[in-house]
Amino acid sequence: MSRFMEPLAVGRVIGEVVDNFIPSVKLNVTYYSNKQVSNGHELMPAVIAAKPRVEIGGEDMRAAYTLVMTDPDAPSPSDAYLREHLHWIVTDIPGTTDASFGREIVSYETPTPVIGIHRYVFILFKQRARHSVRPPASRDQFNTRSFAEENGLGLPVAAVYFNAQRETACRNR
Amino acid sequence: MVVAMCVNGCDRCHRPVKNTKLSESRARISTLMACASTSASATWNMTPLRSALPSIHAPSSATSVRFSTGTSSSRLKLSRPKPSSKILHSFVGLAPIHPLLSLASPDSTSFEHCFTVIDNGGRFFAMRHGRRVPKLNRPPDQRRALLRALTTQLLKHGRIKTTRSRARAMRKYVDKMVTLAKDGSLHKRRQALGFIYEKEIVHALFAEVEERYGDRNGGYTRIIRTLPRRGDNAPMAYIELV
Repeated sequence: MSRFMEPLAVGRVIGEVVDNFIPSVKLNVTYYSNKQVSNGHELMPAVIAAKPRVEIGGEDMRAAYTLVMTDPDAPSPSDAYLREHLHWIVTDIPGTTDASFGREIVSYETPTPVIGIHRYVFILFKQRARHSVRPPASRDQFNTRSFAEENGLGLPVAAVYFNAQRETACRNR
Repeated sequence: MVVAMCVNGCDRCHRPVKNTKLSESRARISTLMACASTSASATWNMTPLRSALPSIHAPSSATSVRFSTGTSSSRLKLSRPKPSSKILHSFVGLAPIHPLLSLASPDSTSFEHCFTVIDNGGRFFAMRHGRRVPKLNRPPDQRRALLRALTTQLLKHGRIKTTRSRARAMRKYVDKMVTLAKDGSLHKRRQALGFIYEKEIVHALFAEVEERYGDRNGGYTRIIRTLPRRGDNAPMAYIELV
């Protein structure tokens, strides 16, 4: 169990975005039908332009889950005054299905990492009741912890993150 | 022994079984299955099955579950992690598993990740005794220029991706810059301006270091190892300001 937590702790997802939790539900995020998101790996901006396919585990279909995608390094990792930037929220996802069965209350915004290398974090929460999650006021200055407290979501049940930088970041000389 | 050939469905097969061997009971199970599949009703009556089988519980219950009910997938899923853990035990002594590679596919077999990346042509030295300066395969002037450029870029972007040895060599210079900024006097500012290539970054650093690193004593960077580079299999790492 702790082997799954190490990259999240080393990459400071645990600490800056969420608190320490025990992962209990399987979370599988795949972009463009074959690029799976693994902790700390890097994806190209062309790949992450479209919405990914998110498959979640869980035991039964009556449980509802909420998926949140944020960027804790907005607008730049050295100076993240807009921490965090919200990209996507899908609620009321039934267990053992994928995110297309849920209700998308904040639509997917294509990540555009302009300065530096950004982390993009997917966090899965378990809801206590359906239709209990309200969309936040704005996408910037989003705080995952306070969002979870406001909507009664508690600690997350799964998290995964990837890195992304500008397409021409390595070429611009 | 008489094999019950029932045409009208399995409810009729109530012949009690005496002195059957395992193979004959298995034949009976197959005929029961065959006649059940031809019958119209989908419900199973387990009494002929139980009467046909010997009293060995483990294999017979496994076969009966697989054929009759549809919830056998849960049983199959529970038994799957065992083969992968057997393979893990046989290979764990070779080398430590790279944490990032093994986490990329948590339920795949891990023996392919057990071999470390040996990047100096097969000459693997186990020790670092007395090596103080990382040479980075460059003459001294180029080395200094490389480190200056790398620290400038790190302070500008916050997180960069380079090779592991360069990231490890950079740490000292980034910490030195942050320490100069913490002091804040004019002399230190001019020393920083002599090292960093862009002066806006120096001014920004001196302005914000108080709130960012005021409480932290040292260790202003973090290195996260990542997958090797495709072109030359160089081990890469992200280095970021803490």
